[in-house]
Amino acid sequence: MRLLPAPPMLQRPVVQRALLLVAAGLLVAAVFLPLWGMTLVSVQYPEGLRMVVYPTYITGDITEINLLNKAIGMKPIFNDYFLELKVLPVAFAALALLCVVGAFIRRAWWSLLSLSAMVALGGFGLWSMRHRLWQFGNELSATAPMTIDPFTPPMIGSNQIAQFATYSYFSWGTTLPLIAGGLVLAVLWAQLGTGRRPNRQRARAKSVSELQPARS
Amino acid sequence: MTSFSLGWRVAAMAAVSLLAACGERTPDVPGQRTMATGDVQKAALATYVKPGDLDEYYLFYSGGHSGQVSVAGVPSMRHIVTIPVFAPYPGTGYGFDEDSRRMLGDFTWGDVHHPAASKTDGDYDGRWLFVNDNANNRLARIDLRDMKTRQILGPIPNTMGNHGSSMVTNNTEYLLVATRFSAPLAGNYEPLEQYAALYKGAVSGIRIDPQTGTMSVGWQIMTPPFNWDLGATGKGPSNDWAFWTSYNSERATGKLEVTASQRDRDYIAIVNWKNAERAATGNATTVSAGVRVIDPARAPGVMYLLPCGKSPHGVDVDPSGEYVVCSGKLQPTATVYSFAKIKEAIDKRDFESEMEDGIPVIKYNSAVVMEVPVGLGPLHTQFDGRGFAYTSLYVESAIAKWKLPPYAANVDPKSLVVDKIAVQFNIGHLVTSHGDTRRPRGDYMIAMNKMSKGRHLNVGPSQPESSQLITIGGARMEMIYEAYTDPEPHFAQLIHRDLIKPIEFYPRSESRDRNAIWAPDGARVTRNAARRTVEGKVYAIRSYFEPGRIQVQQGDTVILHITNAEQQRDEIHGFGVVGYNKNIVIDPGETKTLRFVADRAGVFPYYCTNFCSALHQEMQGYLEVMPAGRRLTMYDASGVMRIDGRAAARGVAAANARRTPAGSLD
Repeated sequence: MRLLPAPPMLQRPVVQRALLLVAAGLLVAAVFLPLWGMTLVSVQYPEGLRMVVYPTYITGDITEINLLNKAIGMKPIFNDYFLELKVLPVAFAALALLCVVGAFIRRAWWSLLSLSAMVALGGFGLWSMRHRLWQFGNELSATAPMTIDPFTPPMIGSNQIAQFATYSYFSWGTTLPLIAGGLVLAVLWAQLGTGRRPNRQRARAKSVSELQPARS
Repeated sequence: MTSFSLGWRVAAMAAVSLLAACGERTPDVPGQRTMATGDVQKAALATYVKPGDLDEYYLFYSGGHSGQVSVAGVPSMRHIVTIPVFAPYPGTGYGFDEDSRRMLGDFTWGDVHHPAASKTDGDYDGRWLFVNDNANNRLARIDLRDMKTRQILGPIPNTMGNHGSSMVTNNTEYLLVATRFSAPLAGNYEPLEQYAALYKGAVSGIRIDPQTGTMSVGWQIMTPPFNWDLGATGKGPSNDWAFWTSYNSERATGKLEVTASQRDRDYIAIVNWKNAERAATGNATTVSAGVRVIDPARAPGVMYLLPCGKSPHGVDVDPSGEYVVCSGKLQPTATVYSFAKIKEAIDKRDFESEMEDGIPVIKYNSAVVMEVPVGLGPLHTQFDGRGFAYTSLYVESAIAKWKLPPYAANVDPKSLVVDKIAVQFNIGHLVTSHGDTRRPRGDYMIAMNKMSKGRHLNVGPSQPESSQLITIGGARMEMIYEAYTDPEPHFAQLIHRDLIKPIEFYPRSESRDRNAIWAPDGARVTRNAARRTVEGKVYAIRSYFEPGRIQVQQGDTVILHITNAEQQRDEIHGFGVVGYNKNIVIDPGETKTLRFVADRAGVFPYYCTNFCSALHQEMQGYLEVMPAGRRLTMYDASGVMRIDGRAAARGVAAANARRTPAGSLD
């Protein structure tokens, strides 16, 4: 199977470097941006209750949400409960570092490694989010004042839980790493197209030869 | 034959007419307007505020001898909330917790007459509402940020019946008040026979702290023993001046309805409060009951008297501050004075030859502009900012709309009254939107009537007071709604909603109570065996109290500081103790202290009295009052009470207590 050649623009080293540095920047920025959120609206809360998950903390109307969840025996939501909030910033930083190193060495295998790490982290993130949603909706206290059927809120989109209409969404903290992944993928594509890191002298020689028309 | 029968016919008709004239016939009620169907529809649309929508104005109306202030929305006229001021109010726990108990002292009622909103540059600024207590000589400040009574000042010395009160100066420097009843100074005893000589009236300047609104008695001016009735502060050119009406310039005692109605003229007091402020530091003062009392006879420039129609009631200053209107009560006119003429008379010393206890009396003719024949029993005047005044007519049960000066020369006074509307019945005060400021809005007016005389569903002999909403934006006044306002409205303030921005809960970050706790872990009960006191910090949140069990010994003084740790609007918790006659209500984010002596042994449940959640009924605990001789079981050697079942709440506690630097969890 032959790989479709990357556009010449992408093959320029400076462009690859720039893209990888931008990817690193996006990953660093993502540490400070919300990953995911959920807004709950009911008749009593027409302005909505918000839970917003950042890579390092959870914010929003958490006290109120916990107070309401207590009635159905849901675990309280608080930062220290989530190991993810300690792992994620480090993981984002590590990925950013991979990209920065990649920008210097510009090796296809390194890019592949970076991309794999990003995919792995993304996979872990989605799994963990799915798991947490399941966990909080299913591991309900047996002694709760109210007994409801266990539930798993959807990761994205609308749902109804008891009197609340909920809406879940991904935010910039997720989008930026996704874009970063795309950039690394693009660089990898270009790198795979040339097989290996272009030899600087050879590249120069080639360009010189191109500038001087061949003598017959 | 023809002429005969014609004669008979004429005779018969005459007889019938005569018979008809002999029969009883009830005349039409004067001044009544019937509403056409179209007007009814217009009025319905103008006053209907659909569910979920907001009214345009706040109406803060006095509750008279209920001692409270009520808030209604206009134009719907819906009563929204009662703000307790001078009387306990279990609905909000007012008068039960330590702070409000301390404010009320030993008094259990008050008589609220005249709310006055704080002003900046002569218009409402939405910060505070001051109200007077006619009964026990006090003043109160309601903070409009949380609509709570925050200070009660008084009893004010040398004051008996704080009626001519409270009026706010244009930038809320002073609250100007007056005594209605004259009495011997400093609360001393003098025989009533000595009334004319030894009894004194007083008008007072209550200083207001510009930052906190805290009131303190500044100075008082000793006056002849008239009955000071109502007052107004000046505006614009009359900014530094205040005006009070008086009755009983006869200095009479006995049946005042006769003895105080003998002279054709009583007085308006005209006080330069800036001069009074200066005089208070000078020599023309004595100290009575701890207050600097100015003798106006020895402090020139502080006080003047101006004759006014017999036994006047209201005095009001028009939005420009140029005209002073005095309502005759016992004469059917509103007298308009020009402030410029008053000023000129003062400057030229254009006074009557006889003074009243050394106070100069300005010549009536030097100051008057017009006696406007408004109608019978004029009491109070409000303004629309378009050159018209509205005067309530008690006897006539009507409001007269009339034109303010300037007037053409030789104008027919009768022509100045441009409209009149009947009200039901016996109107006292009236209020227009921002009607006592420099910038009246000129859209709504409310007639606050003293009697409703069966216009409502029959509720027995204790009949309510009616208040009626009238639009004044058009050429004619139109009555569009009627409501029954909690007893007994006197004056009110009608303030646009944009100016008032109350909080919806007390932010935790603003809590200054050292006994506040924000997690159940902070709950702690300690007993001082020597002093026989049990002091506890109690945590309240949906839907439990921590601790849920409090043990004390019979005879202990119990002091509970209860924090409502909610940070959500309308999540109010109460703390009622069954059988102990105690109930406090704590707003979200608030800490209140309940103190009582556990003098009866037994087990007394405490419970949340203000419905809070689906598990509100479960929000309860037990106060165990151990009889003398039974040993307390819950305390350790150092007097700290064990709190059972803490772990159950620990999870949420941890969540609520923990704060992270980047983003808090609250």
